[in-house]
Amino acid sequence: MTVFTLTEAEREAFLLPRLAALTVRHRDACPPYARILAAIGSEPPYARVADLPWLPVRLFKTHELRSVPRERVFRVLTSSGTTGQAPSRIHLDREAAAAQPRMLAATLRTVLGEQRLPMLIVDSRAAVRGPALSARGAGVLGMMNLGRHYTFVLDEGGEVDSAAVRAFLARHGGGRFLIFGFTFMVWLHLRELGLDLSRGILIHSGGWKRLADQAVDAAVFRGALRRECGLTRVHDFYGMVEQIGTVFLEGPDGGGLYCPDFANVLIRDPETWEEAPPGVPGVVEVVSTLPTSYPGHVLLTEDLGVVHGIDDGVWPGKRFSVLGRLPRAEVRGCSDTAVPA
Amino acid sequence: MTPAAALVEVLFPTARPVTVEALLDELSSGAMLSGGTLRAGDGRMRDFLAAFGRRLLTPESARRHPELASLGFFLRPGELARTVDGLRGEHLRVPRGLILHIPPANVDTVFVYSWALSALMGNRNVVRLSPRAGAVASTIVRTLQETLAGADPVVAATQRIVTYDRSDVVTAALSAACDLRVIWGGDRTVAEIRRHPLAPHARDLTFPDRSSFAVIRAAAWLEAPPGTREAVADGFASDSYWFDQAACSSPRTVFWVGSAADCDAARADFTTCLARAVKRRGWTVDTAMAVEKRVATYGLAADGAADTVGFHGNTLASVVLAGPEAAPRRWLGAGTFAHTRLGALMELSGLVRRRDQTMAHFGFARAELEELAESLAGRGVDRMVPVGGALSFHRVWDGVDLPAEFTRLVTVTG
Repeated sequence: MTVFTLTEAEREAFLLPRLAALTVRHRDACPPYARILAAIGSEPPYARVADLPWLPVRLFKTHELRSVPRERVFRVLTSSGTTGQAPSRIHLDREAAAAQPRMLAATLRTVLGEQRLPMLIVDSRAAVRGPALSARGAGVLGMMNLGRHYTFVLDEGGEVDSAAVRAFLARHGGGRFLIFGFTFMVWLHLRELGLDLSRGILIHSGGWKRLADQAVDAAVFRGALRRECGLTRVHDFYGMVEQIGTVFLEGPDGGGLYCPDFANVLIRDPETWEEAPPGVPGVVEVVSTLPTSYPGHVLLTEDLGVVHGIDDGVWPGKRFSVLGRLPRAEVRGCSDTAVPA
Repeated sequence: MTPAAALVEVLFPTARPVTVEALLDELSSGAMLSGGTLRAGDGRMRDFLAAFGRRLLTPESARRHPELASLGFFLRPGELARTVDGLRGEHLRVPRGLILHIPPANVDTVFVYSWALSALMGNRNVVRLSPRAGAVASTIVRTLQETLAGADPVVAATQRIVTYDRSDVVTAALSAACDLRVIWGGDRTVAEIRRHPLAPHARDLTFPDRSSFAVIRAAAWLEAPPGTREAVADGFASDSYWFDQAACSSPRTVFWVGSAADCDAARADFTTCLARAVKRRGWTVDTAMAVEKRVATYGLAADGAADTVGFHGNTLASVVLAGPEAAPRRWLGAGTFAHTRLGALMELSGLVRRRDQTMAHFGFARAELEELAESLAGRGVDRMVPVGGALSFHRVWDGVDLPAEFTRLVTVTG
């Protein structure tokens, strides 16, 4: 069972009616969204997914956008905004809240298999405790649904607990096991263990910014883990709280990220905002059928990306990379000063 | 031993690190007695400023930094003389003393206007440049140093441009020592700096957050010949795009005065002319700014403040507001203009707020503008200037006569 089955043409045919119907549904149920569509003059019919109106993802930080009445909101997810920024608030009803872990699991089963695997977590137990759960902690908790027999690589003080990892490997190292962590945490802590992790499947996420500063890219990352830990099954994924449950998963060969059948990416040219052809970098737009309780089904991210190829990889559909974040717009002007004191 | 926190980096007259105590010592009135003091309107300072202005007006400098040419124009000898002469009256003008200037980090030229007028009035000055100050600020400092060669030593003895990272110790020492503290750059900066007490006799001159708008008579726009419309659109573009529309005097909303049909027609034509002007000037915005504008304008629509949102490429976004009371004061990204309609100019009287600073206008008679100003009675709008003049610095700014603020009056009765 896999959710990486649709070719680009099949995917377009599958997604267009569903996303267009979601656009209408959100327009009817979310007045601020309806006002945006009216103001920009966007109306059905939509001939292509690329014609659907997108929302800048940051609008979920500045506005409350939901398509279900307040009393049907089951859970509100928040992102960790960068300093000084309000977090995104994502409103899920019971149905959407149930769908997102189900679809996340379906996506990752492609590489993890049907069984819940013993799980090594490249983080500290402290990250998933406490009243104020960080985004990192929430990510770890979400992934824990997919594993069992958890062992944390870091102790409460944030130090590598190699005794715990050895004990984990002694019990579970003979079969397949899951390793999860944020990309920079994996790079920082996994290699120094010097242990044989060759039966492990590493799932990691969180972006490359901190590693790019050290000139570590996906190829360097994969090469070092293979050499130093024997890790060959390595899968990066790309996702965001504003499209919770939808992750774009790196294929087994490391040749790029792929879209699950219920989602897609478009790279937009930042001047014309038309879709850019493969090979040409632009701004990443993500579409997904999962956001049913808030108008997040067509989002313009603040990430730059590039499509490497279409229907030419290990899985069908688009094969792409995320190249980094757009810089924040620099504000000049009288009111923005460095306060000297 | 001096704590590192008390060190400042002097940029002018000569680059060197110095403790804040030593800096204040050099500038103390006692030390001045040996080096000579300045008078209000002192000829030696006037000569220095004029020579500095001439350097900014050289073709090479003006080509590289056009905003410095406007500064050079501001410092021409005739203008300096007018400023000094304008202060003659029945009382004797004397310098206020030691002035601390805290300019905004991102409008590179403001500090020069503030400092130059204060220096012209004979004050000792400390200008605190942000470590984030840009290339234009460096050019200015370098040009000041070059001008020093032919200047009277009193200039170097009395004027300091410094920079330091956030340091309460330095800001507190400078604040306690100065006779007037000039704070540019927004509500937050003003509140931060005000934590540091001044001497009992000293006071603050503050330039907090302001925003600006334009008002155009639709019929006047429609009747204007193409050349005029082109020139006005060009002026509007430079009012707006110079500092990414984030300067306090750059217009954010355009109020159109006239019938609905006239206003719709004028707005459409204006937008076409503006798009052409922006293209002629070669202004562009980067991707992050383009996204910023989408977030801001979609947000206005979501709030019900905008009826329509339109984009002419990334450089120009037009928002038609649901009504004039929805006029946004906050920055919406470079090249984002909200439009709305008024039946008559005087309707602005009920809409203007304290933070409204500059009203750029086209198509109104002086008498109408004065009538509006009278009816506003100081509730907002300190400047009414023709479109194209929003960024032109004047010695009267934000409703304040700067040379007067930089001096004291001595009553001499014979």
